[in-house]
Amino acid sequence: MVCLIWHLLRESNRRMPDKEALIHGDQRLTYGEVARRTAGLATSLRRSGLKRGDRVGIYLEASIPQVISIFGVSQGEGVYVPINALLHPEQVMHIARDCGMKVLITTAAKMAALAEILPEIPSLEFLVITGEGEAAEQRVPVHNFERMCATKLPETWRESAIEKDLAAILYTSGSTGKPKGVMLSHANVVAGSRIVSTYLEITDKERILAVLPFSFDAGMNQLMTVFEKGGTLVLINFTFAREIVQTLLKERITGLAGVPTLWSLLAQPNSTLRKQPLPDLRYITNTGGAMPQPVLKILREALPAARVFLMYGLTEAFRSTYLPPEELDRRPTSMGRAIPDTEILVLTEQGELCKPGEVGELVHRGPTVSLGYWNRPADTARVLRPNPLLPPEMGDCEKVCFSGDLVRMDEDGFLYFVGRRDAMIKSSGFRISPTEVEEVLFQSGKLRGAAVIGLPDETLGQVIKAFVVPRDGEILDISTLLETCAEKMPSYMVPKSVEVISDLPKTSSGKVDYPALRRREEL
Amino acid sequence: MTQNPEVEERIRGFVLKQFPRARKNGLQPGDKWLQNGLIDSLGILDLVHFLEEEFSIQASDEELTPENFESLSAVVAFAEMKVSSLSTEELPANERPLAK
Repeated sequence: MVCLIWHLLRESNRRMPDKEALIHGDQRLTYGEVARRTAGLATSLRRSGLKRGDRVGIYLEASIPQVISIFGVSQGEGVYVPINALLHPEQVMHIARDCGMKVLITTAAKMAALAEILPEIPSLEFLVITGEGEAAEQRVPVHNFERMCATKLPETWRESAIEKDLAAILYTSGSTGKPKGVMLSHANVVAGSRIVSTYLEITDKERILAVLPFSFDAGMNQLMTVFEKGGTLVLINFTFAREIVQTLLKERITGLAGVPTLWSLLAQPNSTLRKQPLPDLRYITNTGGAMPQPVLKILREALPAARVFLMYGLTEAFRSTYLPPEELDRRPTSMGRAIPDTEILVLTEQGELCKPGEVGELVHRGPTVSLGYWNRPADTARVLRPNPLLPPEMGDCEKVCFSGDLVRMDEDGFLYFVGRRDAMIKSSGFRISPTEVEEVLFQSGKLRGAAVIGLPDETLGQVIKAFVVPRDGEILDISTLLETCAEKMPSYMVPKSVEVISDLPKTSSGKVDYPALRRREEL
Repeated sequence: MTQNPEVEERIRGFVLKQFPRARKNGLQPGDKWLQNGLIDSLGILDLVHFLEEEFSIQASDEELTPENFESLSAVVAFAEMKVSSLSTEELPANERPLAK
């Protein structure tokens, strides 16, 4: 019976140990090899002091150790916290401190970059280093990943975790403050895998190219669906769209998931995707924002044999809707309808069902509703609320997820995105909280006021525009201000434009009036 | 290979303007900017767009490789190669890309 995440691997290994599971460049691992290394890592983590429920950060680029770490931590009964390799030390420190990280798995080069912040993580008990390079001396023990993976699983191995246990924490931004950790149980992740592999009809013949990071729920879901069904996952580190197309061809990829920015890259006029037939690619999926219609048209022309699934999900509920490919011509702008075993409600402010066509908040109910935010009960209570439609006799037995996304539903149950209820920005598939960017702008020490909004952008979905008010007498150099931002944040968070204004518009309660700033940009 | 200092300056100017971290950390011709994360896949798109506009060249997808784009000196060499392969004979001198 599959209860825990690593059971997906265990079952596929039992059925087909010699089947190719994982490919990265010229490294190719079977299910048997992945399972052995995973068991070795789990054993060594426990021997080094990992306890059930301890948080383990995984700060690695797309790589075989990254996948082994996810399953090894799961088998060792820890909680894995994938950290996007693009993040800078500041953001890594926030995640590590916020979740009380006990172990961090990374490379020697990344550890060197983190040198200043590692002493600021009091909960850290040991580090695990993979790959080349000498690791500098640390205040905590440093273990070697490859040696840990070579350990044999003892015959006395006992498992006490159950599917209700916390399996992973995925950090994501909201409309305010720093990123929050969304808690997913083993049951959430396994249900997400079962649901998505059902409607994408994934089998052991599937060969998926993993372009999305595993710190993103859709990326992690791809990994799970492949391991559930015994397919093959191909990992890639890329800069050029062409590298993706070459890998699609060379590895005879059957399924590719991306965010709108990736599709825009692949649909550029000079892209090889438009010249190169890819007969093996049977489907593509989009998530993380609406795919621009011109890009969709190019992809459908370039990939006539591939079925296109437009999907929508939010980390707090893992995965929510998809548009079946046969509906694409009839409803090209729809975000689809509920995924299997899930109900999507569109509710008014009063918590009643909207009529068809009426705008309301998207509310998700089903087995992928997360456990809420780590150590943030008030934020959790805002997003996960009792299902208002249950008969009172049932009490508050079920929590549903209020997405903050405003949508409308047509007569046939298909949904259309209208906008956000709050000021959250989405760029290149990343959720960005305006306050997090504003805080970094303030760190320059030269500002009296700062507010950022998202402007529509064809390739990125949205780009960030900053409005800044210099301190009195301060001569502001925008170029230096942006340098400070670029030092402290990944590029998707750095404002693309900055406008100096004399005062920020305020609401009657004295808060920044974001709608007024958007109106100023004619949005 | 000898590189045209003017081409290098134009490309350097763009990179410094477009990528704030390059300004902060300085930019050596041989710095491997793909490896150190200064420029990502979207940054490459911006850079290609700039080269195409600035030097009136066309970069094909086959030419978008790490070898041609890994550093300032690689991009300068690539731009010069593309410009010299253009048929500039028919253009008056002041409209030739390098005279811009």
